[in-house]
Amino acid sequence: MHGSTSASGTPAEGTTDRGHRWRQLHRIAPLLLLVLGVVAVFGSRRLGLGELTAPGPGLWPFIVSLLLTGTAAVLVLLDPAEDYEPWTRGTVRIIAGLVSLGVFILLFQTFGFVVSAFLMLVLWLRVFGGESWRWTLGLAAGGTAVMYLLFVELLGVPFPDGLVDAVIGG
Amino acid sequence: MDSWSGIVQGFSVALTPTNLLYVFLGVLIGTVIGVLPGLGPTATIALLLPITYTVEPVTAVILLAGIYYGSMYGGTITSVLLRLPGEAASVVTTFDGYQMAKQGRAGPALGIAAVGSYIGGTVSVIGMILLAPPLAQLAVSFGPPEYVALTVLGILLVTYLGTGSVLKSLSMAALGLLLATIGLDPITGTARFTFGEVALFNGLDFVAVAMGLFGVGEILHSLERTDKVQAVTSKIKGIWPTRKDFRDSSGAIGRGSLLGFAIGVLPGGGGVVSSLASYAMEKRRAKDPSRFGKGAIEGVAGPETANNASSTSAFIPLLTLGIPPNVVLALIFGALLVQDITPGPQLIEQEPEIFWGVIASMVIGNLMLLALNIPLVGFFVQMLRVRAGILAAFALLVTMAGVFSVNNNVFDMWVVLGFGVIGWLMKKTGFEPGPLVLAFVLGSILERAFRQSMLLSGGSFDIFVTRPISGGMFAFMALIIIVSAITSRRRKAVFGRVDPADVDETDETDPDADRQVAAEGSPGADSTTDTPTDGPSGSTSTTPGER
Repeated sequence: MHGSTSASGTPAEGTTDRGHRWRQLHRIAPLLLLVLGVVAVFGSRRLGLGELTAPGPGLWPFIVSLLLTGTAAVLVLLDPAEDYEPWTRGTVRIIAGLVSLGVFILLFQTFGFVVSAFLMLVLWLRVFGGESWRWTLGLAAGGTAVMYLLFVELLGVPFPDGLVDAVIGG
Repeated sequence: MDSWSGIVQGFSVALTPTNLLYVFLGVLIGTVIGVLPGLGPTATIALLLPITYTVEPVTAVILLAGIYYGSMYGGTITSVLLRLPGEAASVVTTFDGYQMAKQGRAGPALGIAAVGSYIGGTVSVIGMILLAPPLAQLAVSFGPPEYVALTVLGILLVTYLGTGSVLKSLSMAALGLLLATIGLDPITGTARFTFGEVALFNGLDFVAVAMGLFGVGEILHSLERTDKVQAVTSKIKGIWPTRKDFRDSSGAIGRGSLLGFAIGVLPGGGGVVSSLASYAMEKRRAKDPSRFGKGAIEGVAGPETANNASSTSAFIPLLTLGIPPNVVLALIFGALLVQDITPGPQLIEQEPEIFWGVIASMVIGNLMLLALNIPLVGFFVQMLRVRAGILAAFALLVTMAGVFSVNNNVFDMWVVLGFGVIGWLMKKTGFEPGPLVLAFVLGSILERAFRQSMLLSGGSFDIFVTRPISGGMFAFMALIIIVSAITSRRRKAVFGRVDPADVDETDETDPDADRQVAAEGSPGADSTTDTPTDGPSGSTSTTPGER
């Protein structure tokens, strides 16, 4: 909410330029909602609305998506820009972090919990947390062990078979 | 069953070793996360949802409730010592609490907050014992139209009270309702919006959605702000307040208890609104209002009492009507649903051990908090040394492993990640996740009640207004919409000017002058609640540098 205040408040050229581009960009959020709403309206009509006396599967989704479409349409026109936070350098880190979480899920499926958890902790502690290598490796190894004990031994969660299980099993 | 035998049964449930352990864990975790600025009660409860399936339903609620009211205690500590609210409801405490700390009276500030919270919690429990059974009795006669009215009212009030932009919240509520329709139609069995994906036939998993939006979303959002938290080095002395302190704050505690209780029961109420209302009330009542913001002990005692009282009484609508009045309670509601228990008017009759057990656990939990807080404040402050990066890494890993454990399904991990992205983007773009999750939880109840009402009435909407209770509720909603439409224009005019100044001034010296504008008019409360939720990021970013 203070994002736009600072963007428009500073007279420096770079920031005004960014602020201007920003103003164009920020309407994407309600636009996306609008598109989603319209798609849902048609989707629910296809499901069959039925009658009010005998509602079909699509009637309730239809009502709800009309509400979404309506509010989103007004927001596209009226949305106050000051609720939007600016994108910072931190944003890039967050996106990298999200990608790493996706990679974690893929690793988890193929290599099991131990390897993927250790790697994820190393990445997050070292790169995103800025910890020293000593802390990183210690915490990652200890953390993985504790989590494994907690989830697999204590709660009996059947994580996908991975490298470690193969080693232990063999 | 009369209340007395209910209470006896409740204590026999709450005093079992397992439940004692879980109430202790709950209040301890709650206090810790209340202290840690990055992690609020909502995120924590979302993260811990998977664990609750491994225990009995009553134990699950005891744990989650403990986290909720425990966080109200914990948030106080950092507000007083660092002017850094650990969770939104403690923002008000920074006004006078931090000033008291500067004058060397951090101990009494924390002490009176703990005592006040204890009293507020206890008063609320008593109120709950008196009010909940008759309310449930009344609600037993509710038919589908009343449930439509009640759920719509709940969603509407959360929408109106939760944030500055009502429209954005409404669209999020609509999105939540839409997401709730994914899966097989409960009546005809038609697959809706599943895109042929079998994993979607049962709908999106509530736990995955909540963990994504609140857990992953909030962690990412807090990680983006790279505030450095500074640990307190000075010793806190004399935590037990003096007799004069007690005398000065007894009125504030009494009023805070009642006010907090009343606000907590209302949909959309809860910690933030109640603490702001209490602060405004104390300031208005004071003989010398200028003391406020300069270390007036009433300014700590009242709001701290009120927020704890409200976090307890918020359980009343959940356990008697089956309507969660705020987001934290929506998560607890979801936890119960997954355990195949639908909270509602029948709960007290059919599952008395849950209702009375939770009440009894609150009595015990509040005592534990009092015992924990007075001697262990120094220990909790040390928690601030845990760096945000470490916290985030472990919280994310627990989230991912935890969500897998619910259905042993990798698909849910992708759902968490997807909703994590959405949650973070929503934070960035000023959309509140609260109404979405609340609507998502209530969506299937609302749809079923709506369709049943239509069948009952033969397709006529008259049924909603001709029945007295649902008609009354819809009239009330209409009133809210009209009043807020009238006041919002005025509010926009006021806040459009005040907002930037508000942020600046908070960072300088006198935080309450402009806050008070926000807190005073009660219709203005809807935007007030927004201020504190954004407040921590606004005020904390500069505060540590100041010290």
